Amino acid sequence: MKRILFYLLFLSIPFSGCENMLDIEPTRVVSEENMWEKMEDTRAALMGVYGLTKSALVDRNAFWLYGEVRSGEFAIPVRRDLRAIAANELNANDVTLETLRNWRRWYAVVNAANIFLERSPEVLEKDARYTVNNHQVDMAQARFLRAFAYFYMSRIWGDVPLITSASEWSFNNKPREEKGKLLAWVEQELLKAAEDMPFRYSNNDIKQQGNYYNEQTSRWDGALATQNSAYAILAHLSAWQGNYPNAAAYTAYIDENYSHSNINYATTANLTSSSGFFYDKHSSQMFGFPGVWAHVEAAFTGHIEELTLAAPVVNKSIPDMYMTKETVVRVFDEAKDQRFSIDTLGNPLTEVYFTNFNGRYPIFSKIKCIMAGVSDPSFRIFSSALVFTRLEDVTLLRAEALAVLGERNGAVDMLNRIRENRGLLPYSEEANGDLIDAIFQERHRELMGEGHRWYDMVRYHKIKNNDPDFVKLINEGGIYWPIAEPLLQQNTLLEQNNYWK
Amino acid sequence: MKEKFPTPYNVGIVAFIFMSLLQLQLFASHKDGYINRSSKLRLLQDTVPKLLDSVFELNFKSVRINSVQKPVADIETSGNATIHQFLKGEAAGLYVTERSGEPGTPNSMFIRGISTPIFSHKDVYHNQPLVVLDGIPLVGTHPFSYMIQAYDLDRIGPENNLLSNIDLSNIESIEVLKDMANTAVYGPMAANGVIKITSKKSVTDNKKRISLHSFVGVSARPQVTTINGDYENRFRQQFYDLYTTSGRYNDDDTYPVYLSDSLNNRYYGPSNWSDSYYNNGLNYGVNANISGGGSRSNFQFSLGSLQNAGIADDAKFQKYNARFQLDLQPLKWLFFHTSINGTRLNRDRNRNLRNRYAMMAYLPDLSAPLAPNKETYDAYLLEQDKGFDNNFSNILDGNVGISVQSGKFQLKSTLVADYNEGFRDLFYARTLMEENSFAANYYGYNQRLVFNNVALYDWKLNDHSSLFLEGASILQWDTHKYNYAYAYKGVNDFIKINLLRFDDTHADHLISRAFPRQLVYKFLDRTRHNLVSFYSRGTYNLQDKYTASLLLRYDGSSNAQPTERWLFTPTLALGWNLKNEFLQDNSLYESFKIRASAGRLGVLNLYDNVAQGPNYTAQIGYTGNVIVPGYNAFAGLVRPYEDGWIGYDMPWAYTDQLNVGFDFQLSKRRIYFSLDAYVKHTKNQPLGIPSLAEYGYAYNLASGMDVKNTGIEVSVGGDIIGNTNRDFRWNSGINLGFNNNKLTALPGGLDEVVIHDRKLKVGERIDAFWVLENQGMFHADAEVPQVNGVTKNYNGITFKAGDPIWADQNGDNRISSEDRVMQGNFIPKVAGSWQNNFFYRNFDLKASFYFNLGRNILNQEMSDRFNFINNENANNMNSVKEITYWEKRGDYGRYPLYNPWSAVNAYQATQDLFLENGSFLKLRQVSLGYNLSDIVGASLDGGNLYIYLAANNLFTLSKYSGRDPEVANYMGIDQGHNMLLPRTYLMGFKLNF
Repeated sequence: MKRILFYLLFLSIPFSGCENMLDIEPTRVVSEENMWEKMEDTRAALMGVYGLTKSALVDRNAFWLYGEVRSGEFAIPVRRDLRAIAANELNANDVTLETLRNWRRWYAVVNAANIFLERSPEVLEKDARYTVNNHQVDMAQARFLRAFAYFYMSRIWGDVPLITSASEWSFNNKPREEKGKLLAWVEQELLKAAEDMPFRYSNNDIKQQGNYYNEQTSRWDGALATQNSAYAILAHLSAWQGNYPNAAAYTAYIDENYSHSNINYATTANLTSSSGFFYDKHSSQMFGFPGVWAHVEAAFTGHIEELTLAAPVVNKSIPDMYMTKETVVRVFDEAKDQRFSIDTLGNPLTEVYFTNFNGRYPIFSKIKCIMAGVSDPSFRIFSSALVFTRLEDVTLLRAEALAVLGERNGAVDMLNRIRENRGLLPYSEEANGDLIDAIFQERHRELMGEGHRWYDMVRYHKIKNNDPDFVKLINEGGIYWPIAEPLLQQNTLLEQNNYWK
Repeated sequence: MKEKFPTPYNVGIVAFIFMSLLQLQLFASHKDGYINRSSKLRLLQDTVPKLLDSVFELNFKSVRINSVQKPVADIETSGNATIHQFLKGEAAGLYVTERSGEPGTPNSMFIRGISTPIFSHKDVYHNQPLVVLDGIPLVGTHPFSYMIQAYDLDRIGPENNLLSNIDLSNIESIEVLKDMANTAVYGPMAANGVIKITSKKSVTDNKKRISLHSFVGVSARPQVTTINGDYENRFRQQFYDLYTTSGRYNDDDTYPVYLSDSLNNRYYGPSNWSDSYYNNGLNYGVNANISGGGSRSNFQFSLGSLQNAGIADDAKFQKYNARFQLDLQPLKWLFFHTSINGTRLNRDRNRNLRNRYAMMAYLPDLSAPLAPNKETYDAYLLEQDKGFDNNFSNILDGNVGISVQSGKFQLKSTLVADYNEGFRDLFYARTLMEENSFAANYYGYNQRLVFNNVALYDWKLNDHSSLFLEGASILQWDTHKYNYAYAYKGVNDFIKINLLRFDDTHADHLISRAFPRQLVYKFLDRTRHNLVSFYSRGTYNLQDKYTASLLLRYDGSSNAQPTERWLFTPTLALGWNLKNEFLQDNSLYESFKIRASAGRLGVLNLYDNVAQGPNYTAQIGYTGNVIVPGYNAFAGLVRPYEDGWIGYDMPWAYTDQLNVGFDFQLSKRRIYFSLDAYVKHTKNQPLGIPSLAEYGYAYNLASGMDVKNTGIEVSVGGDIIGNTNRDFRWNSGINLGFNNNKLTALPGGLDEVVIHDRKLKVGERIDAFWVLENQGMFHADAEVPQVNGVTKNYNGITFKAGDPIWADQNGDNRISSEDRVMQGNFIPKVAGSWQNNFFYRNFDLKASFYFNLGRNILNQEMSDRFNFINNENANNMNSVKEITYWEKRGDYGRYPLYNPWSAVNAYQATQDLFLENGSFLKLRQVSLGYNLSDIVGASLDGGNLYIYLAANNLFTLSKYSGRDPEVANYMGIDQGHNMLLPRTYLMGFKLNF
């Protein structure tokens, strides 16, 4: 009997404590209860919003496919998906296009920002280290990134649903918001965000005191959005809307303040060096998403180099996209252009923008950050930053705004700043033609491969109104992308863009 | 929020104590009887800690018909290595197919069909049965590592088939448990059925017994037709002749260099690569087993080794197995059992480019494929040899059991440990890939601990009836972990050091010196799962005619949400012995019984994140770069947008199964017949429904998917020529499993949903293909129909001459995904085998056929072949050309010559042009044996000697135009990359004395 009692005792061991056994703290996810407790959580969440924004931009190289390939100015030797985009066959049955028609990644940015805006105040109460100022700056960035996401989406799809709360316990489908209203809201949001954003982080800016998250300026330069970033997006937004007075005002603000963010004009050598402007992260990248080599952030995909580089720059026989000789010569039509110009014998002066110019495929090699910014062609892993806007872009945008508003001298001044930096003579109507044309030509050359070209073309044709086909495309909404079929099925309140029905 | 300890179980504890007290009283009153009984010791082997799984086992053990048709001794002669291979076709209702002939690769088994749709590798894990070895529920790998993998190919790590840890020479029986009467006792892990493996018992007669089994054989190199660049060039030229005028489709069209230069001997010369790629392989196996001892203490020890070789790339699989078993009875009432089974697996893997590139997550320039020329291919193989790929696993399965027995009361306590670890250390030299070396180190383990307590009471109610009571608690801890690192571009090809130091106490154990720090990627991950189960069961037996068993269980899983942690499931099983009822005096019927069971079992969540509900994770990456952990070198935390939203109140999924069956055996010709019919309805399953896109989520993990599997299983056999002639006997047996699945509900009342390019529709199968129907080809632009001025188009792209005519299902003159139809299925409707054994004197000849009927295969290999315009230089996985690209495969004549340049993607795989009948019949094994026991038996002290010759995979009958209808992937797609099943020949002997 004793032994049985002993045994029963032994048996009873497992009956206790099994409830605890079923509560496992997961090592792979952070549970709802353990989030929003401390300032490391807000940092992780905010970095998450930045990371998602970068992923939305570079997934399947969408940023360059939307912005460059769609212009149709690049020749596409082999990739059928790119060819479809260049031919404006945006309904093509292809996994790349299917992804590009889908806005889900952008709404992940919106959702993450919404959650941040709603939940981060909890940390203020729980973690004494988290200061009100730190929180304010964090909130401003989340607000900025959310507004940026909407601006970006509106350029791609026109009207999109406006969702401004996380609604985690009552997700509901919403119809598309008319783009005018949407962009007006975006503008207000950007202005509101800009109020709390510093020019530079950890630099004792009046808006952000002390070391931001205990890190120094160098950690944040080029990685985070600053007040100048916000104004640059405001300027782009206004220009996109055709509201050039506002565009002029916002660019003027940057013109006055860019030095506070330690932003400079880039020299041609720096711009085109493999370890130059696009390499790493630094303050002159006014708003960008770096892929820092030292941070182990280099990647095989999600960089323009994946599309444009090929032999002899890297080991790849045919580039995904290239610019034909004819196009290059047409765009770079001025002598002594440091970026590209040909001598009388037809030989290029420099190879910084285009390598192998006289070969079968001229390689567009303006951006070529291979590994640690080296010229080793053997391994196609890239470290360039995605620079959404830089001072040259804003300067030319200002030139455009002033030109449209009729402030010709101001516009020419702005244009000449860039021309001068690139070794060109000052603008003259006789040599360079119409001012608007010259400004857009300059944008084309200066910002080639930086994801601006398609939107530039849309703005140009809106101003010029002289290309019936393009104007028709604008008027019929053909400048927007079709909405992915799965999105329409998930949310029955959505309607396909008319042009793509 | 957390549910308290379930109240019904509190009642259970009281009942348990009551039962125990009852026993104490009985103990006192039956003391004499106890002493008498104890003098006659029970068989020690009862202490082997196995669960008594079935009511039928308890009451009608003698009349049970084996679920696995072939005796283990016969399966053994095939020389195979894995449980999947052992059981292929051997049990009605168990579907196993060898998706690759590469030896030792992971495989899957499906018992009674699939109850969760399969979209990717990880969904296969959801459908796997539980494998139990001597009461040890074996733990396998966990699919969580796919999180860091850019391609859904091999899981990282050694990917050895861990279910090759048994040596058949040690095995007494293998059973496939399918219905609730058998499986309920194993709990939620058994929701997809159980494979139960029981080892041989040790001897108890104080004699030493030695048995020896050994075989040696070859895998025969297959005969293939090779092609060269000239052949491929001529194939392509047909299209150029048809659709181009100048040999170029447009200005940008580039003809691949390797085909355009007919003077290039590497591509245009002899295509003799197959001499270096294909090979004959050596197979061997040896196992020795010694057993000794008496009834109070005995042991068993065995050692074995086995090699299976593939027919290409020198692929090999080796296993070394050691097993020790000890039974002791130190006191009359105390029983002790322990067994340890250790296995080492080594595998030489394939050298496919795609597997390598997928692991590296990097595609080099693909414009110059491997050349079909032997010298060039040999040179390439030499570069392979500069590196290494060490791929091995260690498996340890052990248990220790104590059991106390006093009278009719028995307490058993078992501690079970199952552990397996896998290693893969590899290095690829720089010369192999554009000056970039690559190193990777993987170490991972899977571990399971189970503490199992069972109380049994055999209560004899009266002369006619008895009640067998059982109560148990089972605690189980599972852990899966891996450390993985890989790096590119080492300093040279001589330093191939490990990236991870094994000793992780060093502060710098993660820092590599031979590879650039910026190109070293490191991952650590771990996931755990705990399971707590209680059950009680009462089995009532009346007059050996009727039996009824009720099992009630409570299961709590740490992967279930806190509010829904516990699930109560009952199972009722009934049996009626017709032989005893009506046929007592009928000598024709040896046995006849009818069985019925109905029950419910919970279905576990595979991932721990479900338990957390809404959570935050680091899913920040993008296509092709899924491993992004954050931003600006700070970790990021965001909602799991890629995996999908997980809300609260996710209930347990469960499976309800109703089974009726009957079995009889006749005394004449040893005829047996067994039939089972089942309905298995798996309900409330979570499914990631594509939704909430405007909240950033790819899916909403919602509960409510119901899948119904129905089927009939028959096994029948007997002597066709039997006792009439003493010298010659022929017996034959067939087993058939019919299975049908149907989706009966989707979450949220949805009617249909498209996930991963497959459609799920309520009322349809869950394994159907979703394809466009071909109806010919447009021969001229004018043939393309116009409706209201709109020309028929494909997603807006107008059809032209040379484009396929796809059926316009909805008649809108526009072909889109709405015109794709659900067709066919990849899980066969009928699978089974047919066994024939002939005996003449001491000779035996055995032949077994394996078949799948009512199954389809999507021949993607041919789609890729014809889609050369899109695939050439596309720089994605589909455009990787293996050396086997230079092999003539498939039937080109089946396919019309569409315009391969067309933007409608004329040769896309998702059309019924590439969907084929995948039914087949295979002669799986023929063996010829001779029993020498009569001759040598005397000198072996009554032992046996048996010698045999065997051949496997001799021929296949099938309409499939590809290589082998068995070799398609887990979604029924034949991409043409998997190795063929080898035809093997072997000879061996079995000796015991």
